[in-house]
Amino acid sequence: MNAADPIIQISHINKYFGSFKALDDVSLDVTLGEKVVVLGPSGSGKSTLLRAINRLETISSGSIIVDGHDLYGPDEDINRIRMELGMVFQSFNLFKHKTVLENLTLAPIKLKKMEKGRAEEMAYALLEKVGIRDRADHYPVQLSGGQQQRVAIARALAMEPKIMLFDEPTSALDPEMIGEVLEVMITLAHEGMTMVVVTHEMGFAREVADQVVFMDDGAIVEQASPDSFFDHPVHARTRLFLDQIL
Amino acid sequence: MLKKLVLILVALSTLCGSAWAETKIIFATDATWPPMEFVNAQKQIVGFSIDFLKAAGKEVGFTPVFKNTAWDGIFAGLAAGKYDAISSSVSITEQRKKAMDFSEPYFTVRQALIVPKSSSAKTLADLKGKKVGGQIGTTGYFAIKAAKGLVPKSYDEIGLAMEDLNVGRIAAVVCDDPVAANYALDKYKDKLKIAAVLKTDKVENYGFAVKKGNKKVLDLLNKGIEAVKAKGIDQQLKKKWIGQ
Amino acid sequence: MSDQEKIIEIGDGAAIPDPKDKGLISAWWIALIGTVSLLIILPLVKPDPYARVLSFVPDGILVTFKVTIASISLALVIGLLTGLGRLSKNRFINLIASLYVEVVRGVPLLVQLFYIYFALGRIVRVPDIVAAVIAMSFCYGAYMGEVFRAGIKSIDYGQTEASLSLGFNRRQTMAYVVLPQAWRTILPPVGNEFIALLKDTSLVSILAVADILRRGREYASESFNYFETYTMIALIYLLITLILSKLISNMEHRLSHYERR
Repeated sequence: MNAADPIIQISHINKYFGSFKALDDVSLDVTLGEKVVVLGPSGSGKSTLLRAINRLETISSGSIIVDGHDLYGPDEDINRIRMELGMVFQSFNLFKHKTVLENLTLAPIKLKKMEKGRAEEMAYALLEKVGIRDRADHYPVQLSGGQQQRVAIARALAMEPKIMLFDEPTSALDPEMIGEVLEVMITLAHEGMTMVVVTHEMGFAREVADQVVFMDDGAIVEQASPDSFFDHPVHARTRLFLDQIL
Repeated sequence: MLKKLVLILVALSTLCGSAWAETKIIFATDATWPPMEFVNAQKQIVGFSIDFLKAAGKEVGFTPVFKNTAWDGIFAGLAAGKYDAISSSVSITEQRKKAMDFSEPYFTVRQALIVPKSSSAKTLADLKGKKVGGQIGTTGYFAIKAAKGLVPKSYDEIGLAMEDLNVGRIAAVVCDDPVAANYALDKYKDKLKIAAVLKTDKVENYGFAVKKGNKKVLDLLNKGIEAVKAKGIDQQLKKKWIGQ
Repeated sequence: MSDQEKIIEIGDGAAIPDPKDKGLISAWWIALIGTVSLLIILPLVKPDPYARVLSFVPDGILVTFKVTIASISLALVIGLLTGLGRLSKNRFINLIASLYVEVVRGVPLLVQLFYIYFALGRIVRVPDIVAAVIAMSFCYGAYMGEVFRAGIKSIDYGQTEASLSLGFNRRQTMAYVVLPQAWRTILPPVGNEFIALLKDTSLVSILAVADILRRGREYASESFNYFETYTMIALIYLLITLILSKLISNMEHRLSHYERR
């Protein structure tokens, strides 16, 4: 594989829910280290697109290749591919029966056969990084939303993925907690992580994105650098969206 | 309105009239004990003791009414006054006499040991350490418990014990000889046999049981038993039901 | 919060005491003290027949325990498999599991007991206790299956997605993430089923299995002390279920530790 080759290659994918077309001939490339922010009104298919990248959502036609692996290839092990793809959900989805520390160590210990001591060492380092090391022994229910989401990011990072997928990571948070989560994401971006982020945070998109993708009705309407996207949108639908949101 | 009232009165008087005509005696019977008392293919309660009581009733003027009642609890029902008497192949024992009154004996019974055709057991002593079944609260079951070294197993109905013997879960069954004959010589005649009739020091008789102190019913029953025996009806019934 | 408020309601078995209820004047304590004192006082005041009943039934208690423990263990395994089968996307497995539940739910336990005992008896020679355990667990496995199914379904699907996204396969997800949490939801109804099963084992006395009830009936049929015998039998069952429900309630409390803020 050539270094310049995209690490995620989405080609002409379609997705139907019954007769409703959720994704309409979507193609998108993401290169290593690139940060892509996907915007769009609710129901535009942006979450479906993101979830299709790790096959939490199956597609009806088209192809998705991640790090050289065809997601639907007959000999591919989807679980192996998913280890390369960290995912952060809108509703955090921390394992409720596990402590913060255990949330981080479960997958490395079980899937990578990492020693418990080493896994915990790494987990503490990650918790330090997201600023909640002191909560390591708490259960998720004892944490605020912002803290939970930061743990969720750390949990995904514990598998040392090549790519991080964020599905509206701040939408379920109280406004005063959004900042602490975005801060972690920005740090991650500056460290060179490949990121695909579905969000409504325009400030984040402007600051971090290499590429902004705007979706509507299941299709990609506009794809541009943040500057040209926000300052000189080409399509009428994009302008309408930006007018409503900003 | 008046018409209705008259109608009701007439209906009531006819009902009472028929009730007064002769005494009804309600008997509880566990109709799972062929050929003494059981339910036939027409769902009627029939058998030796049923015919016996009908004949007795005709002789001395009462109508027997039979109420099918599970054996386990049949005595509790008598004590509670749910029926007047029990006609259910009840053997007269000292223990039972403490709890209820008995009529004169109407049938002499012996305890039979039933085993599979292949078994060589001849007495209870041959079955040491083996499971032997009988119906709960019957003299047959008491005999099993009294014999040393057996594993007694009690059943709600003798038919269930016979089936368990048939499939080999137990080694033998002990029960009254007419019943034993019915199962071993008829229903399971290819599989089971009567190995022996158990020797006892006392004669075992069936009697009709009434609540302690119910002299009225007891006297009537005794008169009936006497009349049936005097006329030799009991011998005819034995022939009919047991074939002896 | 919402997924923690889901309660599976199964209206059978004894009421499991509320783990938070610490007061001495609770129904549970009153029942326990009453039962224990009656079990002690009655035989002391009137040894014949109360003490005699007590000395007649211990091996029956053992049989009841044996049948209960064996049946509940087997029923849990069958229940888990059935619950997973009912949630399976594999049509064939799903059909088999659903069929099993339908059949078992439609036939009274007593009829199943008779059927398995006598029908099976003609085909294979199984001892009475084994037949009783097979029948009880076959029946309760179906109830447990429904409990497991409801318990698994009550776990937010986000938990499954999070687990899958980390690279766990479906089986691992079930084992590490869903079932440990489902246990918490499943335990109260399983506890109820456990107690209901213990009580229902009294039905096996019909199969001539010498459990508590049959021992009591044997005693009563010889002595004609029906009132005294069944009083003691009822008290013994009550004492066992009271203790059991307390144990389950404590376990429930321990399992819910991660929900307490």
